[in-house]
Amino acid sequence: MSAATTAPRPGSGTTRWAPYLFISPFFVLFTLFMLVPIGAGVYLSLTDWAGLGSPEYIGSGNYTRLFQDPSFGASLGNTAIYTVFALAVVLPASLLIAQALNARGLKLRDLFRLTYFMPVVLSPIIIALVFGLIFDGEYGLLNAVLEALFGFGGVSWLTDPFWARVVVVVLVLWRWTGYLTIFFLAGMQSIPGELYEAAEVDGAGPARRFFAITLPQLKPVTAFIAVTMLVNTAQIFEEPFLLTQGGPGESTLSVSMFIYRAAFQRQELGYAAAAGVVMFIIVFALGRLSSSALGVGRTR
Amino acid sequence: MTATAIRTEAGAPTPSPERRRRRPRPARAGLYATLFLLAAVYLAPLVWALSSSFKNRSEIFSFPPRLWPDPATVDNYTRLLSGQPFWNWMLMSTGVALVSTVAVVFLCSLAGYGFAKYEFRGKRLLFDVMFSSLAIPFAVIVVPLFILVAKLGLAHPLFALIVPWVAPAFGIFMMRQYTEQSIPDEILDAARIDGCSEFRIFWTVVLPLLRPALGALAVWSFLGAYNNLLWPLVIVSEPEYYTVPLGLQALFGAEGRQYDLVLAGSILAAIPAIAVFILLRKQLVSGLTAGAVKS
Repeated sequence: MSAATTAPRPGSGTTRWAPYLFISPFFVLFTLFMLVPIGAGVYLSLTDWAGLGSPEYIGSGNYTRLFQDPSFGASLGNTAIYTVFALAVVLPASLLIAQALNARGLKLRDLFRLTYFMPVVLSPIIIALVFGLIFDGEYGLLNAVLEALFGFGGVSWLTDPFWARVVVVVLVLWRWTGYLTIFFLAGMQSIPGELYEAAEVDGAGPARRFFAITLPQLKPVTAFIAVTMLVNTAQIFEEPFLLTQGGPGESTLSVSMFIYRAAFQRQELGYAAAAGVVMFIIVFALGRLSSSALGVGRTR
Repeated sequence: MTATAIRTEAGAPTPSPERRRRRPRPARAGLYATLFLLAAVYLAPLVWALSSSFKNRSEIFSFPPRLWPDPATVDNYTRLLSGQPFWNWMLMSTGVALVSTVAVVFLCSLAGYGFAKYEFRGKRLLFDVMFSSLAIPFAVIVVPLFILVAKLGLAHPLFALIVPWVAPAFGIFMMRQYTEQSIPDEILDAARIDGCSEFRIFWTVVLPLLRPALGALAVWSFLGAYNNLLWPLVIVSEPEYYTVPLGLQALFGAEGRQYDLVLAGSILAAIPAIAVFILLRKQLVSGLTAGAVKS
């Protein structure tokens, strides 16, 4: 019984049941409000239902329709863009900022860190509102600045399909970079200093030290952040919903918005559930694959 | 020049004094300039919203935009507070956020302790299930959950906004990591020898030692609940149960986009969030990252 010294001995009355009791609230809520809905969602996805009467079974009809629906295709494509951007740009950007904040003897570190965390504190409404004001095609701050600096200020940021996507992506960058920086910085501060000193003695340059020590040592943090970001961005809703309403056309529509619209604006509950099932399969598979590949959340 | 500048950058956080090498002045200045610029980028929207909330409607859209309101007016605030049940929204938001936070802090630390300090059959599997649930996107369950909650007659906003979310997997994971790292087994064994019940050990011995992480969890939970939009949007239809984001979203989404009122409301709504954040900022950073740094 190797665990006997570190954990209560199994079989001693209440001790045996205590851990199950302690973790049970999660599993009760998880079953009621996640597992059951997922099961219900799978069933609903095979039906046609507008919320009244009983659902009508239509087999794989919703799925066939889904894969021919250009809106769903567009939302998948946009969500993929947001997710790839989050992993390929936001993540490295926050790593760089963390590296800068970790500079020796930096003053005001806490103040900087506090400021960069601001987007998490503010409501998405105020963020979207201000971004809307900044990027407004007619009265926006950005166009005014461009006008003053370069004499042209006619970019229709929010009404041009390409630029609207860029603005959503900029919003994602602004909103998440500071949050991730906190995690990277904490990771960097937990790297033992001797590692760097030894490398310096061996004549390793700064770039070498970054790639040979910092990056490998940050692997657990990076893995955790990557998986969290993947799952978060895959379900992006607020940024496009508040800033562009998915438009112009469907150029910024995300999968979450697609589901929201189908279910709560058009009352196509079965159809929305089918989109949810497809999203679940993609995100859950990617999330599990990447977290087991990167070794996130091992029990010990 | 630049080579020596970057040399020191990758350095250890606490080098011995004689080894400490300051980077040359121009590079330092560049570093500070970048960090300040970034801080400006992060503060600008808040400053802009603050300033615009004191502008009248036509000035919000004046072109070119002005930073200082001229004339400055509190008209937006008075019209918001007299024309909209803003304080009701605030009461709903803060009430829901506070109640959720108390429940989240209790249930997550209890479950995190269960996973960190006990060996039991099925632990690995249960932990994996809990951790995997982090990868379930909310949009997937929102439709069936909405139907279930409505069908079960649980759609009362106060129930639906709070109960399903009081044991988030992220919080449990965070508390497990923190408990594992900071609670020595010996004090638990000592308490057991003294005849404490398992729950009493948690309540009187473990919980006080978890204080920093509890602070982080509380801020994380409070901000999440306070700023949540999608679920309230789906589940709350009666205006008397609107939270602040819902009320503002209704003004914002309404015909004519009432920028002036929404700006004033956003600023008022940001005050409790910023206060909570500033009060508990130290714990937030250390506690939030405890789970991620060591896996």
